[in-house]
Amino acid sequence: MKLSSKLILFITSSKLAVVLLFIISLPFLVDRIVSEYTNYSLRRQQAKVINVVHKNGIDHYLQGDDNYGSYTMLKEEYIALEPASAKTRIDTIKTAQRVVERDTLTYRILMHTFSFESKNYLLEIGKTTASINQYNKPLQRIALYVLMGLIALTLLFDLIFTRVLIRPLGKIIKSKLINRKFPFKDYSPPVATSTQDFKYLDESLIQLMDQINEAFEKEREFTANASHELMTPISILQNKMENLLGDEQLPEAVVLRIVEMMKTLSRLKKISNSLLLISRIENQQFVKSANIKPSKIINEVMEEISHRAEEKELQIHINLKEDQLLKNVNQDLLFQLFYNLINNAIKYNVAHGSIRITDEHKKGGNYTITIQDTGIGIAEEDLDFIFDRFRKANLTENVGYGLGLSIVKSITLFHGIEILVKSKVNEGSTFSLIFPATDR
Amino acid sequence: MKVLIVEDEKTLAYEMEDFLKKAFYICDLAHTIKDGLEKMEINSYDFILLDLGLPDGDGLTLLPKAKKYNPDAAYIILTARGNLEDRIAGLDLGADDYLPKPFSLLELQSRMQAIARRKFNVKEELLPLGDFQLDLQKRLLLFQENQIELSRKEFDLLSYLFLHNNRVLTRMQLSEHIWGTFADDDYDSNYIDAHIKNIRKKLNAWAPTDFLETVRGVGYRIKK
Repeated sequence: MKLSSKLILFITSSKLAVVLLFIISLPFLVDRIVSEYTNYSLRRQQAKVINVVHKNGIDHYLQGDDNYGSYTMLKEEYIALEPASAKTRIDTIKTAQRVVERDTLTYRILMHTFSFESKNYLLEIGKTTASINQYNKPLQRIALYVLMGLIALTLLFDLIFTRVLIRPLGKIIKSKLINRKFPFKDYSPPVATSTQDFKYLDESLIQLMDQINEAFEKEREFTANASHELMTPISILQNKMENLLGDEQLPEAVVLRIVEMMKTLSRLKKISNSLLLISRIENQQFVKSANIKPSKIINEVMEEISHRAEEKELQIHINLKEDQLLKNVNQDLLFQLFYNLINNAIKYNVAHGSIRITDEHKKGGNYTITIQDTGIGIAEEDLDFIFDRFRKANLTENVGYGLGLSIVKSITLFHGIEILVKSKVNEGSTFSLIFPATDR
Repeated sequence: MKVLIVEDEKTLAYEMEDFLKKAFYICDLAHTIKDGLEKMEINSYDFILLDLGLPDGDGLTLLPKAKKYNPDAAYIILTARGNLEDRIAGLDLGADDYLPKPFSLLELQSRMQAIARRKFNVKEELLPLGDFQLDLQKRLLLFQENQIELSRKEFDLLSYLFLHNNRVLTRMQLSEHIWGTFADDDYDSNYIDAHIKNIRKKLNAWAPTDFLETVRGVGYRIKK
């Protein structure tokens, strides 16, 4: 899940939780506040009554009667004062029903006994619960609306701000990580942001890529220079030996030694040539402008090396679509590619084995050429390394110089061809070349 | 034939001179562009072998000027750079051939002879090889009036040995000539033997092939 989605999800759900909590607790809260306030106002009224009694005497209310009662017009409130037995001691607020002029109503009642001039009185002040609670519902509703409105507003602000805040990260990911293929040659400008962390991340990524590029560049340069520098001394040695061999006076033993030396030198030459070729491919010194038929190029390869297959008496089946065209490729490199793969298929095959070269169209426009042999195969633990330079997998001594498949790898990388290897020891190997779909 | 070798690597220049002298070429050496141009101004050459990485500049820049002094010479570019662009640029500027270093002196000589045949119209016509005759231009091997069928590689092999007659050519040198950089010592040197065997068989049907000698442990030679 992306960071922005996570943030949005979290912000939204946390706000929803707050709203939900509020909705659930709102009735209780309002009830509580109202009842607290009612109690408070009842107490205040009680204090007023007591005050009046102490100031003006109890007769101010009783007017000679032994009790006093009064209520408002709609019986929402009433007050009653009556004598009580001397032992009664009440001081409470409770909800109870009272009958006022034949109407039974539920009141919140304050009951309080007090003594005045050695007589005990009971004071009751009541308020109907209906009048107490009449504002609860609208109050709740308004509180809820205001809250929801505020939440929606903050949610909107949060989402907008999160988007703006996160945007540089998305840009960094898009410009620095997605769609970037090694080597990172195309320049990608720093992402503009005022967030320190993103700036740091972006700068670090740029720096890292520069470092990787630099290291890769150095390796490439080294390979190119080293193999190139080797060419002149190898030239000199080779020519010296050739001249030496032209001397007819040389004893046979010396001639044989020179031939051995030339063989070794030829090996050195091949290694340098291969390294130079790889570095040239990596330096993109080849043009990809040819359109060629794979069947034609494979036939050319076969013409060149069929003698090796004949020597091992291999059966070769080639079944390729005649009209297939590979577009925007380098002919020499593709020749090398097939040459190396077919050569390996021959080299590591068993006597009387077979090689099968087939092609197929996959859904999505991919075109695959498969080269399958019945050779000695590659051990599973070696499969990951067969394209590495100078690694030899499972081979008898002195077969190959470990660069053929490295060349194959760099040619496929250069052309954007995917290469897949399947292999089983003593059963054979299958190399599949998946050519990218070309626009027709 | 007169050859100017423009090569700053002196040891290499001397080896080339040594080899070409034995093949009866007359050689001059130049180690810089300046030196080379001076020599070209004074003398007229049939071949100019040109290295590209010279101390006072790129050999390619020398080519147009050199063509002014020696318009009829054949130019062969020898370079360790081996760039495709160099090759194209060199051939565009009028070079006749291009040999990437390291190259075999035998290969150089055979290229020079091919250029000579093409460019200087050297009418060698039919060259005697034992009782046979070789037509290098038409790529034919004849016995009296009969044409002997040889495969392309067999003819390449025979003519290469013929060009360097009296010299032992190793299997490796032969396979490198025939298969170029794709040669694989392990297989192809054996395969040279198979080719030679075939050539002998085809030729023996007409006349003896004593001129084609096997040199044990080394390779083959055509003796004249």
